[in-house]
Amino acid sequence: MSRLFDFAGGTGMGYSQPEPLLSKNKVALPPNLMRKALPRWPRLSEPEMVRHYTWLSRRNFGIDTGFYPLGSCTMKHNPRVNEVIAQLPGIADIHPHQPEHHLQGLLSIYHEMQHMLAICSGMDDVTLQPVAGAQGEFTAVRCVQEYFRKRGETQRTKVIVPDSAHGTNPASAAMAGYDIVEIPSLENGRIDLEALKAVVDDTVALMMITNPNTLGLFETDVPEASDIVHAAGGQMYYDGANFNAILGRTSPGLMGFDAVHFNLHKTFSQPHGGGGPGSGPIGVKSHLAEFLPSPVVKKRPIVGDEAKFAVDDMWYTWYEPEHTIGKVQQWHGNAGAIIRCWAYYRRYGYGLKDMSEHAVLNANYLRHALHREAEKAGVSHMFVDGAEAEVAKHEFTLSLQPAKEAVGVSAMDVAKGLLDVGYMAPTVYFPLVVPECMMFEPTETESRDTLDTFAKDFAQVLKVDAQTLHEAPITTPVRRVDEVYAARNLCLKHPFDEE
Amino acid sequence: MVDQLPNRGLETEMLEEMGFSSIDDLFSDLPEHVRMSEPLPLPPPQSEEEIIADARRLLGANLAMGEAVSFLGAGIYRNYVPASVFQLITRGEFLTSYTPYQPEVSQGMLQAMWEFQTLISELVGLPIANLSLYDGSTAAAEALTCAVRVHTRKASQSNTVYISELVPPDRMSVMHNYCQGAGITLKVLKHNADGTLDIDSVQSAAGSCGVYVEQPNPLGILDGGLTQIKEIIGNNTALIVGVQPVSLGLVEAPGNYGADIVVGEGQPFGSPPTGGGPIYGIFACSKPYLRLMPGRIVGKSIDVDGKEAYCLTLSTREQHIRRHRATSNICTNETLIALMGAMHMSLLGPEGLEHLAYRNMAACVLAKQKLSELDGISLPHIALSHFNEFVIELPRSAADCLKYLDSVGIIGGFDLNRWYEGRNNWLLVSVTDQTKAAEIELLATHLAVWCSMKEVIA
Repeated sequence: MSRLFDFAGGTGMGYSQPEPLLSKNKVALPPNLMRKALPRWPRLSEPEMVRHYTWLSRRNFGIDTGFYPLGSCTMKHNPRVNEVIAQLPGIADIHPHQPEHHLQGLLSIYHEMQHMLAICSGMDDVTLQPVAGAQGEFTAVRCVQEYFRKRGETQRTKVIVPDSAHGTNPASAAMAGYDIVEIPSLENGRIDLEALKAVVDDTVALMMITNPNTLGLFETDVPEASDIVHAAGGQMYYDGANFNAILGRTSPGLMGFDAVHFNLHKTFSQPHGGGGPGSGPIGVKSHLAEFLPSPVVKKRPIVGDEAKFAVDDMWYTWYEPEHTIGKVQQWHGNAGAIIRCWAYYRRYGYGLKDMSEHAVLNANYLRHALHREAEKAGVSHMFVDGAEAEVAKHEFTLSLQPAKEAVGVSAMDVAKGLLDVGYMAPTVYFPLVVPECMMFEPTETESRDTLDTFAKDFAQVLKVDAQTLHEAPITTPVRRVDEVYAARNLCLKHPFDEE
Repeated sequence: MVDQLPNRGLETEMLEEMGFSSIDDLFSDLPEHVRMSEPLPLPPPQSEEEIIADARRLLGANLAMGEAVSFLGAGIYRNYVPASVFQLITRGEFLTSYTPYQPEVSQGMLQAMWEFQTLISELVGLPIANLSLYDGSTAAAEALTCAVRVHTRKASQSNTVYISELVPPDRMSVMHNYCQGAGITLKVLKHNADGTLDIDSVQSAAGSCGVYVEQPNPLGILDGGLTQIKEIIGNNTALIVGVQPVSLGLVEAPGNYGADIVVGEGQPFGSPPTGGGPIYGIFACSKPYLRLMPGRIVGKSIDVDGKEAYCLTLSTREQHIRRHRATSNICTNETLIALMGAMHMSLLGPEGLEHLAYRNMAACVLAKQKLSELDGISLPHIALSHFNEFVIELPRSAADCLKYLDSVGIIGGFDLNRWYEGRNNWLLVSVTDQTKAAEIELLATHLAVWCSMKEVIA
């Protein structure tokens, strides 16, 4: 083990610093504000620090390490040129409060991204400010809330979410102050229009839907659901977590939605970084545009001596929407993430459709290959499709319920067995509507060979005896971690005091 | 684009094997009337070389602070992030991983975040830290809703929090957006004419759910009065302190003067300014807030063999389990940037942190001294200690002064009229460890020139 707080004995600093501009006795603090004891931070030289974090990295699995079919998370390859671009001083070393003429390059890229996202989603206006998908949801809910307040429709206190929705949907709507009405989905995870009709009235502000849904199936009834909600005066929200499945083939606008968020870190490949940063822009139809968070970027003709700072024949300017909800992040969103996603978009241009098509091609192929290899290996009785469907979109589910019943092997056991053969496990136990669920999302950046090999290895894992799988993984840096122990014996920091 | 799509050219074979004849078959479930009939009206794809050339051209048109002389701060600060941080962060095992749902193959990031929690906890003097929120403003906003969840039942001023009137409007706006849904009333704490907190106004906050103040405050003032707040408001009202974390190398940890929650912009540790994001918000608290706090937390545990192991814990607070009753909607946070912060803090060590804080304060003292010598310029809070920034009062508008300074290659600071109505002549000048003595001289020289001008330029 390499432990950061074991490096406590040295005297050195990990990097040398220049001397202060004045001697230390010239610096005065109010006596009651003088820090009495420095934090018990470790003391490492640079070589020790580099080796510690390299050691840690080797105990972590990323897309670069191997196939990462984590459903709903879109773990696609992160092109490296994007990282190089994000380190350029024109993005890394700029301040959000600099005047517009210092930031024309950034603003033009923001404008280009707003424009591109509006086109791809069929929306009229876009803000790049929200910094994660969940924050995008919250932002859009706030815009809808202000829209209804302005119209005097304050009786609209409810937001409808299907029971298969991501947890962020109800959490975001509740944060804005809405009551959540959860409607059950049909057996295949699809919207139950009858259940929807039963709860829709003039107290409903919004319905939130993911399409393709969290089972990876296209919700063909969405246009009808839109009609039902709109007829009662409500608004329709598109959770863009699965936007990467349909880009260029259809759009939230065509399906009747009023607002949408994009997970740029999924569809446009901002590296997930172990849990962030992300970026969660939202797009809205024109009737919601005046409520967007401030500022958004607009362009206008160049005036006077602006030309010497301009990047093209237009001037890019921050604009405050008339009835803006204000800010959801203090600055201009995750500019560094937006730059990476811009570079990703530029790689595809109008060919973004190819990205979605290959994501769907790969998902369907993997589903096919898993059944094919299971058949060959004689384990096809161990799982069934999570939902009946001729085609999946960018992801799909399997139910390991038959394996559970036949030999007592759970989805979690299989997941841990996959870790032992060098894969990240698919998402397990989500969505809840599929028993013993495993959710696979291969993404467009995996080769057919990888998909075929994974399918064979998956079948082999299913052939492993139950006892061995219960004990898996055995080849990983640690074996199954006791989460109950962690919760009962809370140890949330290095226990200096017990030494 | 073929470089990003390994199965380009294999489409037909793969489709045939599945019994399909074209890609269209895979989208046959899309109702006819919602299908996009035309290609996306976007430009053609570009090669890597073309993209990087365009990026260099466009981003090169931005004025990087390092290419000018900058005194702009106001919440985001120029800093130096050691080279090894950038090198290590590109390791794919960190960069391309996701939330550690499978702890057995995510021990590296889990342990790194547990160590981050410890670094932050030690820095601010509180026992618990999460592994980041989006930025300082969302951390502050979530601290308010957390304080209300913990205290509102016993509070005589239920659903009410008090916020320093100096908090910038952009930060206030985030707080408002996060608080309005829970019906939380945001009331104001007054400041004295010298910029310090009006301690009498704190009396009115007793019985509320929380008090939010900043140290240093938005005018850069280190306010000794904040150490008295906890005694006034008592245990049933949360003291929430927003910090500039580097200052804590010299300034007392808020946990040691009664803070229940400490938040702040983590950016100076590990992250360049990056236009304001991605950066990361610090959130730390004491035990009574633990089970109602937002965000992810890593706990140290054991595996089935009894071996040291780490995993996410107390997840039942979170949206993926608690759904609309979750303590926050946050899912993706800023883990990678927090990791950069952890690396930077590790390299500093306690003495390096103290030295860095000295460098910041020394630059501030020097700048105050130089600028106070100028005719026509006064420093309204000169008698107080500052960290990173201070106000100078100008003979004419700050907006005009900034225009002049810009014309000579100096980003002169922040026009406080944008925050505080009627403060046309107040300029917030920021200096950090990156500020050089010659830059301060240059600013002083040009301020003197501008002061001597009769006419307003532009």
